[in-house]
Amino acid sequence: MIWQLDLSILTLIVICAFATIMVKDLLSAAIIFGAYSFLMCLLWTEMGAVDVAFTEASVGAGVSTVLFIAAIHQTTRRVGFRKSGRGLSKAIGLVAALLTGLVLLIAETDFPGFASPFSPASLHLSPYYITQTLHDTNVPNIVTSVLADYRGFDTMFETAVIFTAGLAVIAILRRYKKDDQCELPEPYIISEGYPDTIIRFVARQLVPFMQLFALYVVAHGHHSPGGGFQGGVIIGASFILLAISYDTRMIIGLMSEKTNILLGNIGVLIYAGIGFLCLLLGANFLDYSMLSKVLPATDKVMARSHGMLGIEIGVAIAVMAIVISIYINIVSCGKYDKDV
Amino acid sequence: MDIIVILLSVSGLVFFFATTVGILRFPDFYSRMHAAGKGDTLSSLIMLLALVLYNFHDFNLANLLVALKILLIVVFIFMASPTATHAIIDAGYESGIQPWTKKPEEES
Repeated sequence: MIWQLDLSILTLIVICAFATIMVKDLLSAAIIFGAYSFLMCLLWTEMGAVDVAFTEASVGAGVSTVLFIAAIHQTTRRVGFRKSGRGLSKAIGLVAALLTGLVLLIAETDFPGFASPFSPASLHLSPYYITQTLHDTNVPNIVTSVLADYRGFDTMFETAVIFTAGLAVIAILRRYKKDDQCELPEPYIISEGYPDTIIRFVARQLVPFMQLFALYVVAHGHHSPGGGFQGGVIIGASFILLAISYDTRMIIGLMSEKTNILLGNIGVLIYAGIGFLCLLLGANFLDYSMLSKVLPATDKVMARSHGMLGIEIGVAIAVMAIVISIYINIVSCGKYDKDV
Repeated sequence: MDIIVILLSVSGLVFFFATTVGILRFPDFYSRMHAAGKGDTLSSLIMLLALVLYNFHDFNLANLLVALKILLIVVFIFMASPTATHAIIDAGYESGIQPWTKKPEEES
């Protein structure tokens, strides 16, 4: 930890956060938000939380900026003129915010100090993970083992949350009928990619490497930083790169709506299915050590490692499908290019 | 070895500084992107090369692998950064940004 670097990054983060809120132009706000995410990623790397930084870099700075820009492209750049509320409602809002802050501050005094070495988590929980993870699960990356094994139930529902987000985007944006128009400005036809040879060539060269790297991130997630979420987002981003540099139709040809929803389902099903498999084999839900009965040539410790790999693959498939489907839905105004 | 590393990283910083000055001081979109694209690519390449050399302080297989990975990043930056600059400038040209000229009254 270099405190000067920490301090300067933190200052920049606060500036970026305020700029994101204050800027009137939504496109600039999206770009500044991307910078904010990237600075957060730097800060986390500097603090040693490489897994979180990786997630922030791929999801926060990468894909979500693209999704924001796609949404702005389809709607408007300008912030709507808001009628300022009356004085009374403003005062009520201020009082409510101050009261909530006061209650939170009072509640905060009961917590152990920030990063205190004597807090219960640091005294009992963390030493167990740090000393026993390799012995328990044969996984060097403690973060992955906590995410996918010790707290596998949480992660399963995180995957379910992502899946639900994809379903919500489809439910809101997807337009099946032609006359089912909502009051949006006429969409600029983005699907007809501008035929630029240089961009297309370079994108074509980069995509295989991106996908290879994503597979590496997924498969190597329990030995190095990374895992299912990051790998899935990177595969999704490679498809989005193709969609931007070529056209959206090509991506829809590769990953149709049916394939996307099917893959999202399959991803969550792989996760839950491995859990149920453990249940069938006579252990607790998501207790992978019982998988050694099914997997050949593994003892109980290696079975936990393999179980983690299995659920990471499920997470990656689900995240990839959902990212692609959200992008296509936003960029084609939910029409999936049927009649653009 | 140390001298080469320091020399490379300092020259990378100099190019980064020139890029920043160029982005801030050049008069219009195209020249700013020109500064950003060229300076960014070159300076990040130089600094990554300095990191590669810095890795060879004690030579073993792990350090060699790290150096190879950094070299891969160099290759990808060398491909992606000029293309991104090209794409941005192309988008600017498509949306009809006029290049800066010395005599603005002749524009009309």
